Parts: sequence; C-alpha cells; structure tokens
Amino acid sequence: MKRRTFVSGILLAATGAVAAGCSTGEGVDLDGDGDTGTTGGTEGATLRVAIGGEPDQLDPNKTSAYFAFQVLENVFDTLVQPDENLEMQPALAESWEVSEDQLTWTFTLRDGVTWHDGSPFTSADVVYTYRRIIDEELANAWRFSAVTDIEAPDERTVVITVSAPSPNLLSNLGGFKGLAIVQEANVTSGDIATKPIGTGPFSVSEYRSGEVIALTANPDYWGGAPEIGGVEFSFISEASTALAALRSGEIDWTDVVPPQQVAELEGDGELELGVTPSSDYWYLALNQAREPWSDVRVRQAIAYAIDRDAILQAVSYGTAEANQLAIPKDSVWFTEYSRYSLDLDTAQSLLSEAGFTGGTLDMLATSDYPETVTAAQIIASNLEPLGITVEIRQPDFSTWLDEQNSGNFDMLMMGWLGNIDPDDFYYSQHHSSGGSNAQGYANAEVDELLDAGRVETDKDVRKQTYADAATIIADECSYIYLYNPSVIQVWSPSLTGYTARADRAIRLAQVGLAD
Amino acid sequence: MRLSPRQVAAFLGRRLLFSAVVLLGVLVLVFLLVQLVPGDPIRLALGTRYTQEAYDALRAASGLDRPLGEQFLSYVGSALTGDLGVSFRSGEPVTQLLLQRLPATVSLALVGIGIALLIAVPAGIWSALHEGRVSDAIIRVTSQLGVSVPDFWMGMLLILLFSTTLGLLPSSGYVPITEDVGGWARRVALPGLTVGLVAAAIMTRYIRSAVLEVASMSYVRTARSKGLPAGVVVGRHVLRNALVPVLTIAGIQLATILGGVIVVEVVFAWPGLGRLVYDSVAARDYSMIQGSVLLIAVMFLLINLLVDVLYALVDPRIRLA
Repeated sequence: MKRRTFVSGILLAATGAVAAGCSTGEGVDLDGDGDTGTTGGTEGATLRVAIGGEPDQLDPNKTSAYFAFQVLENVFDTLVQPDENLEMQPALAESWEVSEDQLTWTFTLRDGVTWHDGSPFTSADVVYTYRRIIDEELANAWRFSAVTDIEAPDERTVVITVSAPSPNLLSNLGGFKGLAIVQEANVTSGDIATKPIGTGPFSVSEYRSGEVIALTANPDYWGGAPEIGGVEFSFISEASTALAALRSGEIDWTDVVPPQQVAELEGDGELELGVTPSSDYWYLALNQAREPWSDVRVRQAIAYAIDRDAILQAVSYGTAEANQLAIPKDSVWFTEYSRYSLDLDTAQSLLSEAGFTGGTLDMLATSDYPETVTAAQIIASNLEPLGITVEIRQPDFSTWLDEQNSGNFDMLMMGWLGNIDPDDFYYSQHHSSGGSNAQGYANAEVDELLDAGRVETDKDVRKQTYADAATIIADECSYIYLYNPSVIQVWSPSLTGYTARADRAIRLAQVGLAD
Repeated sequence: MRLSPRQVAAFLGRRLLFSAVVLLGVLVLVFLLVQLVPGDPIRLALGTRYTQEAYDALRAASGLDRPLGEQFLSYVGSALTGDLGVSFRSGEPVTQLLLQRLPATVSLALVGIGIALLIAVPAGIWSALHEGRVSDAIIRVTSQLGVSVPDFWMGMLLILLFSTTLGLLPSSGYVPITEDVGGWARRVALPGLTVGLVAAAIMTRYIRSAVLEVASMSYVRTARSKGLPAGVVVGRHVLRNALVPVLTIAGIQLATILGGVIVVEVVFAWPGLGRLVYDSVAARDYSMIQGSVLLIAVMFLLINLLVDVLYALVDPRIRLA
C-alpha cells in the first residue's frame, strides 16, 4: 500500500483489454542508421519505450518514483512475484514452506542464478537486502512489521520468522519491486543509483541523464533469455509528442496517454490500445471527529447525494471503473457492493433524521492531484440542494498532508495505489488503531474482522472476512469509495506477446518485435 | 576616435560591478525561494511514510535547521565555489546535473538564434526600406502572427507536418553533436526551428523599427542629398547605427533561449535546462530549482555583459556615456 507519490506521473499499465485494430503500421526509419530500428523484426531488435519522465534514481529499495519502477521491473527480481491475476508465484525463490504454527517461512532459492556482473546470487543477498530495508528504515520497512528474524542457514535457504501468522507476507515481499533483491557490492560502491546490477531479464547498459536509459538482454536470465536484444527508455512528458513518435515509428510503446485521447485512439487501426481498471482507488472521507460528520446518517446522505457518473466522466473521460468498494472487479478479492445510487430523497430524509439543517463543508482537495479539484466542484453542486455549502481548498500536496494529519478538514478526496492484499486495502485506513485512519473511524466489529483477516490462513474464510469488513466500512461511510482509475497504454502492432497488467508492472522479458 | 585601454577597463569594471550587484540580488531571491514556498520541502522529499529520525537527519543534512543568516552565508559561500548542494530528488550534485544539461540547451539556443538572425535581419531591413509597400505589409503581418502563436503550438504543428505527415524528421530525442553530427542535426531541426521562428518574429519587428528610426535621421538625409549611392547610405549610415538596438534584442533573445525554452524542450523531449527546470518544479526539487535559476541568471548577466562590450565596439558614444 502506498500513498500516491506527489510527483504527478502519468498513470500506467493495462491488461490489453481493449485492443483496437489489427492492421500493421508502416514504420519509418527516422534515424537513417537502422541499427535501433525495430521494424526489421529481426531477433535481438531493440524495443523503444517512451515513459512520462525520468527516474530520480535506479536504486529499487530507495526510489518511490513510478518512472524508476517502469525501468527496474525489467532489471531486478523479488523473491516471489505476482502473476497476471496478482497471485504470488516463484521468482528468485523456487519454492517455500510455512511451519505448522504459521510463524516460520522457509524459502528455497533458485539454483544457478547470477547477477549481471556474473557473480552468483545467494541467500546472503536476500538477507542483506531485507536487513538494509529494515535497518535503514527505508520507505518499505513497514512491510516487515511482522518479521522478527531473517536467516540464511545455507546458500540456497532463507528463513523468515514472523511474530504472528502473516498470510500477506508473500504479497509484501513480492507485490512491489521496491522489495527487489540488490547486491551488497553494488550498494556500497554507490553505483546502484545510476549503474544498478540486478538478476533480471535485462541489465542497464547506458544511462544518459535526460536522454535515455538503455537495457541489454541478459542471456543468462533464469526465466530464459529475452527474445528482444534490449530496451531503450526515453522520457517524453508531452502526450502529443509521444503519440507522434509512436505514429511515425520512432518508438514502439508509450503510456504517456491522457484519458481524453482514449476515444480517439480506439478508432485508430494503426495502434494497439490497452485500457483496464487498476488496483488504485479514489475515495472521499469525512472527518468523524467533527460535527455533524460524526453522524453516520449525515455521511450516508452525502454518499447518496454525489453524482458518481458525473465525477467519473469529469476526471477520467469515462475510462475509470466505478466501484463502491476499494478492490477492483478483476481481483480475486473483489466483493460485489452497490448500495449507493444518486437519490436526493433518501439523502434528504437521512439528514432530517439526523436533525441536520444545513451548513458549510470544508473540502480539502489539492492542486497536485487535479482530479480532486474537479471532483470537488461537482460535489459542491451535488450537495447544494441539501443545504450544504462546500468550500473547496486546494493547497499543494505537502500542505494537504499536514492538514489531513492534523484533522483540519471536513471532507477530503485522495487515492491509494499499488495494493494487492486486502489487508493493504483496509487495515491501516479503517482499523481504529490504523496509521492512515485520518477520518477517525472506529468500529469494534470492523477491528475484529480486520485483525482476524490478518492471521487467517484459509483463503475462502479470509475472503469472506474482508468482504464483511468492507461492507460495514462502506455502509458506515468510513470511506465513500468512488472509482478505480484505468491504466492506459498504447503500442505498435509490431510488439508481440505483450500483456499489460493491472499492477502497472511493465514486463518485457517475454515480448517480441515482429514485422 | 580610438579609446585608451584605461577607458575600456573602466567601462568593463563598471559593468562587472553592476553585474555583481545583480548577482547578489539573485542569490538572495534564490536562497529565499526555499524559505518562502508553502509546505515543508523535507517532508515532500520523504514522502508519506517516514520516521522522525529520518526527518531530523535530512533536515540537518540540508542545513534547514540552522539560523537563516547562517544558512544564507553558507549558501552563498558554497555557491561561489560552484557547490550548489545535492538534488533533493536524486541525491546527485546539482552542479553536475546542470552541467550535463548545458550542452543540449546551448546547441539548441545557438541553432535557434542562428535561424532567427537569418530570417529577421534580411526581413527587418527589407521591410523598413520598403515601408508601406505590399512586401512590408506581408512581413509585418507574418511577424505579428509569429509573435502571437504560442511556441508549444508552433512545435506541435511542426511535429504534425514534418514527423507525422511527411515522416522527414524525428519528433523528439537528442544525440550529442560530438557523437553523431547528422543525428544531432536531424533532431535539433524541429525544436531549433520552433525557437528560431518565434525569436525571428520578435526580432524582425525590432529591426524594422530600428532601421526606420535611423533612416529618418537628418544625417541620413544629408548623406542622401549629397548624392551618395543608396547602398552606401544604407550600409554605412543606416545599418551601423541600427545595430545597437538589434544587438540588444538579439542578446535578450539568446539569453531567454539559454535560460530555458521550457515549453519547447518539454514538447520535443529535449534534455536541456528548460526540461530540467520543468521536472524539478514538478518534483518540488528545491535545491535543483535554486541551482537552475542561479545558472540562468548568471548566463543572462554574462550575455548582457557581452552585449555591452559589443555596443562599445559598435558605437563609441556608449563608452563615454
């Protein structure tokens, strides 16, 4: 679970759901030198990718920039990694066992894995990386909160001890490339920020600031040598430039696509378009430490009064997926829930019951996330008939965080991204002792369910536990959930075998470049 | 009339002193930038999950916990020795990052100003010498259009024409001139043209009015009436005197382009200073913004100094003023 970073990057990823057109575009070799061209379709061709901005650094444990992870996804590995349905599969660990008391996890590492510099990968590297994240209190240290010990009894075994059963340990270790295993020598030399050494399908061969990051295929990759010879990442923040470059054949793939372009691209037979809901979600939260928002009926009235469709259209041009809970419909943890619909009569009677006669609402949006401002304007007009005057504030994000944390708001809108396990979606936001429960929600039953879900190892029982918790959370409007934004990507039809993913990971190990 | 070396030195000394005062003012403003922005830069750099220890450590490392006066002296001291601190975002030295971006911006600026001069000088002179005729009207309307068109729109139109439709030139990217002259030229063409066309439109109007003003002077009338050929009148009397305002506007244009044609660099994904400023602002990388602003100000001052020296070479009256 991660709060959206304040660097406003272009949202990414998609499971090739909508593939438009089938005719192949004709590429133009604009360099005149042919060697970086991809239209020849020869084995070992270079895939040219344009992302929206430059990574701040290439140390996976330290960066929080999505631009960095777009590159590093193909350079580093985690112990386990999510498949297309976001279920954890073997990666650097080929298997694992959990002890009977659920407190000891024993991972067996894949044999014969080497670093890009040729040195062997061992269990000591895993221990080093995890200790680094924990001891240096890096941004992902919280993912190890249940871990009490990490040991390497031999070169191919890692034993992790936890303080309580932790069914979400695998998604904590592998759901996010921020937990990638790094090489100690690469870290201590300081090279990792610009010349990282990983175990992944590609190695970083060149990095010219502002221009390009070039990757070369790793012929010794444990998952099989990539079909393409390499990848070149360029940084284009202007969408029209990125699309022009794609159309003229200068690049093969980009995610620099604003939602308003999707309708136009759907009719473009020369490009492939992928649009699919991500596991990010956006929500409203009312400050329950303040009157009258502490009254559940007032919160529900607002949930009935807001026009979700209008918000969806305005913020995403209809590309996002409406959802009244957090977890998107493609996830195995999805729960059906559709209590709220636009219904002013219900809203009005709930307010009357609560004895609410009108007033102002201090809405905290932020200019760093324009969707919050757009939505706030719609909400303001939605709530006007109820006698609620919405006063919108839009400070920068750091001020926004201060205001949130000091409880200085009536209502706010924000998003969370990068969640896989239901614990990430609900615990810290809605448990009465949760670290991100700024709205001040407290319900003993929800606390109990969230605590139980944390340690429940039977998957079906666990799913029901979270479904129950989420239903109460939404019924009582701890969060008023709005939508899952879509990830939008466009690529040339010559790119084959590419599967865009809901978790925004861009995996290029298996792709090819055809004629 | 030739001036003594002493007079030249005194002139340069005055100009340098003036530049130093301006530089000090810039330093104060740049330093205050971090103090005046809303929000806490340390907090922004750390994101949402961090410990108080990490916060205190970064605050101490960046010097933001010390008294304001002390911070300023230390900032100026470091800046004067070329140390602009480290980027909040990447942890790399600011000076090094700026120097990496300088070649791309300088090459774009020189191409742009070259294109602008090639268009504006003949167009402006022609327009002035043919005042009121059809060709003058065409040049005036065209340059007015050029001034009015936003550069990002001009850039997109050029991309649409030369990359998407004709497939002649790449829409984005950069290759250092030292690596591949042809590749560099192909890639600098569109951003250079965008910068050059906008600058040419501005300069054409200045050159036209400068030439017109000089042409109406009494000494030009005298030169004409004493029977000098038109070419000599224009070449020796009009153009030489019109050069001063032309130098001024060319200098300002060059400095503006060097100072980051932010929009053009963003549109063409050109890895120059403008793009760096854009990315740094988006990431709230204050040390980087400070460094960029300082570098841009220094370049402005240097170009102004250069223009002043050129004035003195062109027009002796200025040295004595």
